[in-house]
Amino acid sequence: MVPGSLPPAAASRHLVPLVERAIQAHRHGAPETAEKLALEVLELAPDRPGALSVLYEIRKAQGNRPATEALARRLVALDPNNFPATNELALLLLNKGDLAEAEVHARNAVRIAPENAQSHNLMGMILTEAQRPQVAEYHYRRALELAAARDPILLANLAWNLKNQGRMEESRALYEESFAGAPEVRQTLLGWARMEEADRNFDRAAELLDKLEALAPDDVGMKVARAVVLGRQKKPAEAVAVLDALAAGREGARLGPNELLEKGRLLDSLGEYEAAGQAFIEGKKLARELSGQQYLDQHANQMIARLKGFFTQGRLKLLPRAGVRTDVPQPLFILGFPRSGTTLVEQTLTAHPMISAGDELPLINDLTQMMPRMLNSPLTYPEALAELWMGDQRDGLDRLRDNYLARARQMGVVRDEAPWFTDKMPLNETHLGLIALLFPASPVIHVIRHPLDVMVSAISNLFTHGLYCGHALETAATHYVRVMELVEHYRTEMSLKYLPVRYEDMIADQEATVRALLGFVGVDWYEGCLAFHENRRYARTASYAQVTEKLYDRSVGRWRNYRGVLEPAIPILAPIMEKLGYSTE
Amino acid sequence: MSAAASRDEKPAPRVLMAPVPVGEIFQVAAEYERTGKLAEAERLLRHVLDAHPTQADALHLMGIVVFRQGRRKEALEFMEGALTYGVDTPLYLRNICELYRTLWRHDEALAAAKRAVALAPADPLCLHNLAIIHSERAEYDEALACAQAALAIDPKQPGAHFVRAEVLLARGQMEEGWEEYEWRFQIGGAAPLIPPQVLRADRPQWQGERLDGKTLLLIGDQGFGDVIQFSRYIPWAREHSGAGAIAIGCGKELGELIRQLAPRAAIFQKWDECPPYAAYAALSGLPRLAKTRVETIPAPIPYLRADAAKIVAWRERLGSLIPKGFRRVGLVWAGRPAHNNDRNRSTSLATYKPLFDLPGIAFVALQKGPATPQAGGLFARAPLVNLGAEIGDYGDTMAIMENLDVIVSVDTSVVHLAGALGRPVWVMIPRAPDWRWLLGREDTPWYPTMRLFRQTKPNAWEDVVARIKVALAGYLAP
Repeated sequence: MVPGSLPPAAASRHLVPLVERAIQAHRHGAPETAEKLALEVLELAPDRPGALSVLYEIRKAQGNRPATEALARRLVALDPNNFPATNELALLLLNKGDLAEAEVHARNAVRIAPENAQSHNLMGMILTEAQRPQVAEYHYRRALELAAARDPILLANLAWNLKNQGRMEESRALYEESFAGAPEVRQTLLGWARMEEADRNFDRAAELLDKLEALAPDDVGMKVARAVVLGRQKKPAEAVAVLDALAAGREGARLGPNELLEKGRLLDSLGEYEAAGQAFIEGKKLARELSGQQYLDQHANQMIARLKGFFTQGRLKLLPRAGVRTDVPQPLFILGFPRSGTTLVEQTLTAHPMISAGDELPLINDLTQMMPRMLNSPLTYPEALAELWMGDQRDGLDRLRDNYLARARQMGVVRDEAPWFTDKMPLNETHLGLIALLFPASPVIHVIRHPLDVMVSAISNLFTHGLYCGHALETAATHYVRVMELVEHYRTEMSLKYLPVRYEDMIADQEATVRALLGFVGVDWYEGCLAFHENRRYARTASYAQVTEKLYDRSVGRWRNYRGVLEPAIPILAPIMEKLGYSTE
Repeated sequence: MSAAASRDEKPAPRVLMAPVPVGEIFQVAAEYERTGKLAEAERLLRHVLDAHPTQADALHLMGIVVFRQGRRKEALEFMEGALTYGVDTPLYLRNICELYRTLWRHDEALAAAKRAVALAPADPLCLHNLAIIHSERAEYDEALACAQAALAIDPKQPGAHFVRAEVLLARGQMEEGWEEYEWRFQIGGAAPLIPPQVLRADRPQWQGERLDGKTLLLIGDQGFGDVIQFSRYIPWAREHSGAGAIAIGCGKELGELIRQLAPRAAIFQKWDECPPYAAYAALSGLPRLAKTRVETIPAPIPYLRADAAKIVAWRERLGSLIPKGFRRVGLVWAGRPAHNNDRNRSTSLATYKPLFDLPGIAFVALQKGPATPQAGGLFARAPLVNLGAEIGDYGDTMAIMENLDVIVSVDTSVVHLAGALGRPVWVMIPRAPDWRWLLGREDTPWYPTMRLFRQTKPNAWEDVVARIKVALAGYLAP
């Protein structure tokens, strides 16, 4: 027998005792010995799962994230049915923010162990973060069924999920139950406090933070949440003091990226614009350094070039359009760059009884991913749409449309008594052409705001939309210009049911603008839309705090306070500002 | 291989670089200009001007070369330079007048033209240019006088005759106007009505006589709008001539429309498909033959009709794009850029922006051609549906118009189409209007459903749009 052909398990059988010793050493608190033994084994047999597992645990305890992830990947690759490894990998990816890949592994976990509460818990956590809370809720509830008892952590997870769905009463009841079962869990108290803050019960939120402080006086999350609550209680100076105290207790007196941005926003409300600008710049810089993420410049450029190349008059004449379904509620699309006022427009529209709220639906983007499979195409989107010319794919758009509608219903955003539901996924304008093919009769409302005000919001908040363009001012501006040029292209090449709405008009002449909006959607005038701030629906996005306040002029022309900070973006944005009629004077 | 190693190689002949006289270079450049080789002309003139920056003739010719390439402001700099160094040269003044005119600097154009005439009173071209600038300034008496003076010197100057035609027709003096209008084919650079290879001496231009069963050839000359406007005369021509058959040559875009007026005619697009004929006439010449006067302009509206199936299809399409309850206003903001009066009649979509503040209106862009992308870049308050992307032909445009409340447009072919259909159409007319819109009136006998909104100042549409806005608000009020 040729030695090289020996199966690995047999070939490395002599290493089993070493692996056992490594496991025992790790179990008995001797990580150095365990590490040495595990490395020794892996030197000889790199695929020994036991040794990999031990080393994984050691690296995880050391906080070595890249090594931990690499080891988890190896374990999963070696044995796709390894549930613990799959679970660990999914959690690692969730913590890293890579929700798409985390979901792949969470789904695998459910396939491997459909009756394991943790596999469903994973799905719940990941899909809640991926803004599909309705599907996540199903998995949390399944996990609760499978768990022997009402696990307080699961209850708190479900409570957070329901908070994200705006179901505050149910969320509160679950938090209470979870807290009663495990009053010492910090995450529960923090989540609950944030739920109460979102539900505008600021005093209750403060009480819960007091409880958390008694339990864990140095909890960072608690302090940041405290600052947020104080800010919403119109006590920005006290909020800044909380953050400063947090910084003072740290080496180098540094705040994290989120904390810096929160501080900047608080300083902004105090009128301390220079200090606010500094906090924003520092926060963004730190976010870049810590995440290692940056704008996917080349990818964005190529994607937009491909979209422009595909969606042309000549080709569109040859493409069919999906039929319009009249048996189910239809989407109306609210487009706009992140922080351009889409939440405000959605809150306004969804105050109307004929329009239900869909919030940021990831569905159009999902369809672009699924398209090659659904249309049986060797090409990716948008070129995969060329399959519609094939005899067996003529109804392809109808199938894509139905997938969207079915998933929207599954997500619970559809109310049968309301003929419309909103989809306000920012930057969906990138896919304006696809939207018009799928829903040719759906109104498309594009929220436009002074680009420099958009940039103020872009530097004062973290968002990952737009291929990470928000990580730096210049890249946010670049992406803004690219997307607006793409919108122009679509509007030139296609006949669209499209209405641009100025954020500034919403502020300056709210009633006329809302009348125009409702007219465009084709629903009757409804007075309640003017009082959108009374719309108790919780908007999940970063704007929720603003949209629960009445309209205020201060949100228009904020860029003037940050002219110096914004200077690098002005030459990039100048042509589009001129076209849109916005000045820098 | 190095030079030293290649002994067999013969040394290159020594070229003596003798300087070419500037005058010769200039002559070559002038020849290039004359034959349309503008880039080559410009290159040579740059050499001349590098060496002789104050050479007036070179500056002047450069102005012409640059002007012909569409760089008018740059051309003006050269022309003004020519006049600086060649003070009071009538030719320069005559040409700079035209340049000022196209740049909307009418006062300077007038001054230059007058100076040219004063310096060269016997030059009919100077008088012609002065007539044109007077006409563009709506100084019609002066325009006629100058054209008359030019014709006194050269009775066969087509340009002066054409100025007279335009003024007379615009004033409604049609009998004389139509006669003068016949000179349009003699203007320099005008395409012949029939190419020489098709034209035969024994097949004359029709003068209204009976053709007794023979074939009358009608030619859809000039722009699409002219063809649509004058196609109303086709039934008259058939009847009046007693022709046994009608052949009509026109652009392929118009074939289906013309077919409505002459169902049995042989309609062709290429001259090699032209059937034998006994006599020919331009469609634009038929009003003269019909002895049309303002009060006898035939307006059998509608004389064109949209296809019923297309009307239904576009009704559905518009119904999906425009919410119920919205009034629909069609928009066209530019004509064909190659039209010699385009700068006068076309505008930009942004000009219409004030209209977009009117509530309850959806605008439908019917614009085709290079100005279409403007629809993509306007972010105004009202919905704008860019149908330009989906319109295939005039048949689509007609069917869409049947689904609109009113069409607002500059003076381009679409207004003729709307007028021929009998649709409400509001036309923005330049300060110096095309003759067919006559002078001063808000209506037109050519199209009873048409309303004219005239400019009060050249190149200024603001007040026109403001008036349209008021009118629209009233017209579309519930």
